[in-house]
Amino acid sequence: MSEISAKRFDMEDIFNALNLGIIVVDAVGKVLLWNNWISKHSGIQEADALNHQLENVFPEPISPAFLTALNNTLTYRLPVVLSTALHRTPLPLYHASEVNQQQTRMYQSISITPIQSNLNESCCLIQVTDSSTSIKREKILRSHSEILKKEAITDGLTDICNRRFFDAHYEMAVADAKRQKHPLSIFMVDIDFFKSYNDFYGHVAGDTVIKQVAVALKSQLSRATDIVARYGGEEFVLVMPHLPKKVAEQFAEKLRNAAFNLAIPHMKAAPFNQITISVGVCTGIPENDSNLLNKADAALYQAKLKGRNQCISLPLCEAEEYLQQ
Amino acid sequence: MNHLSDLHLDALAEVFSIGAGRAALSLSEIVGDEVRISVPSVQVVNSEDINSTTLSLNSGRFGAVNQHFSGPFNAEAVLLFTEDQALKIVSDMMGSQMSLEELAEFEHEAMCELGNIILNACLSAMADIFNFTLESSLPDYTVASADEILHRLKEDANQPYVMILHIDLTIEKRHTAGNLVFLLSSASLTNLVAHVDQFIGRFS
Amino acid sequence: MFADSSIKKLLIVDDSKVSRMLIRTHILARHPEWIISEAACGEEAIALVDSELPDYCTMDINMPGISGTDAAEQILSQHPSVKIVIFTANIQETHQVRAHSLGTILVAKPVTEKSIALTLNHFKDSE
Repeated sequence: MSEISAKRFDMEDIFNALNLGIIVVDAVGKVLLWNNWISKHSGIQEADALNHQLENVFPEPISPAFLTALNNTLTYRLPVVLSTALHRTPLPLYHASEVNQQQTRMYQSISITPIQSNLNESCCLIQVTDSSTSIKREKILRSHSEILKKEAITDGLTDICNRRFFDAHYEMAVADAKRQKHPLSIFMVDIDFFKSYNDFYGHVAGDTVIKQVAVALKSQLSRATDIVARYGGEEFVLVMPHLPKKVAEQFAEKLRNAAFNLAIPHMKAAPFNQITISVGVCTGIPENDSNLLNKADAALYQAKLKGRNQCISLPLCEAEEYLQQ
Repeated sequence: MNHLSDLHLDALAEVFSIGAGRAALSLSEIVGDEVRISVPSVQVVNSEDINSTTLSLNSGRFGAVNQHFSGPFNAEAVLLFTEDQALKIVSDMMGSQMSLEELAEFEHEAMCELGNIILNACLSAMADIFNFTLESSLPDYTVASADEILHRLKEDANQPYVMILHIDLTIEKRHTAGNLVFLLSSASLTNLVAHVDQFIGRFS
Repeated sequence: MFADSSIKKLLIVDDSKVSRMLIRTHILARHPEWIISEAACGEEAIALVDSELPDYCTMDINMPGISGTDAAEQILSQHPSVKIVIFTANIQETHQVRAHSLGTILVAKPVTEKSIALTLNHFKDSE
């Protein structure tokens, strides 16, 4: 600072006009400078802060990371930064209107720099900026992406999981079951005579049926590990780990009943004249070359052949089938 | 002056492993889990001899934290991680569920802090062991390609020497490798070696 | 001059030659009569303890091969009378806890008058 400018301005005016917090402490941590911004956001006046230990000035504790950083700067004379990302709110500072109300602390970015006083004392300059705006931006970004993420994995018509989510989930579920050697059940579900329903009642009515069946299937699930997804058109798929084969077969019956109980009239579907579903299920502990999905699909095909509105269960490997016969 | 004995390098490696230990302690306090940092090797080479292999700089972009420091010797310290790894470190440290794209927002500041912790720990270990005081600028973070980084390391004719520390960092089971590079003038390297000599000489 | 002037055997385990040198020099300055051997890794240390039967041992943690704490555990299982100090730059709480559970203490590097004094105190206190 040249002598002329030092005379033209009072440095204190400049400190107090700054839109960031300035604190200076001496070698033992006593406050030597406390600008207006800090007063405003801490609710503590300069007079109450000067010549007191920094950690005693605030009514609330300062974060340990801040005290460690300050101590390091005082010991080694090396500058330190404390990022918002990792520390959020090291000092008890609030937005001006919120001081002394039960409010959340201001998010801060802090830098601590060693400086030398005119008396040759080792001091520390602490600069604090308000990073709430960037945090807000982060939160908006985060919720925005959550919406995007949800859209990417949800079927637009039925609001259950889409095929894309199923593909990823199926792969993980199989890998999990393989690793932990527990059984996994795959249910393939198809609405019977759906094409003729569409032709007779129209596509809007057809979409409504798909939605109603989706809701009925979903309502049967209660565990967080289970999913139902729209596999395509009028086909659905369910993935459920940890079910014994018997239980899986009973569950397939429950699914069939749930759709039957919707009692949606379908004049072109003899003999029930209402909407029904066929279910193919396959349960087993997956091994390297086994394909649960193909087996469940084959089971579904058999259910269709055998006259629809029924459940067929196929074991994962032929050996099991042989043993059961 | 470009020959450091094995004993010199061993002494420097020991100094930096103490720095690494302090950095790991600070980082573990932030992440609340064990952090492992080791410095498997120290090399001193002419800056014209460095290439992408010396620094294991493959393709892609790199995050570089810079601090200039001065005292008994002056140097520019640069901590290098690949940008992908930098983002993963930050995301591990923040422990949040943000995607990598969102993290970019915080990468800058958080990487400055990570670099600052590692650099300051190394500088403070040197200060303690060699018994001197160093002054340092605040850290800066830039993202650049391997070519840009090599160009920058080589362009300053006043700093013809580079000291390269390979750094292995493991936070919450994620392993990362980076480099800490010090750019030194010949006078600074001579001073550094003199301090190492004095340190070893006190005992041998 | 020393309360205990008997000749003791010390094994220094550290992969850094400079560290071993520093520890040796500091110790010999206080106990010139001690017999000191050195190992650069945990495996070497375990073998040396069997042949040298040291009274005391300083042990680094981060070394090539097995970690110093693992080496210390193995040594103590065979030779419970050896007094060990974990002398390391790795000062996180997990290691402090591990050191204590082994009945040793952890002393932070660098090797200085102060850290050597802590080490020697532990050796004497656990006599």
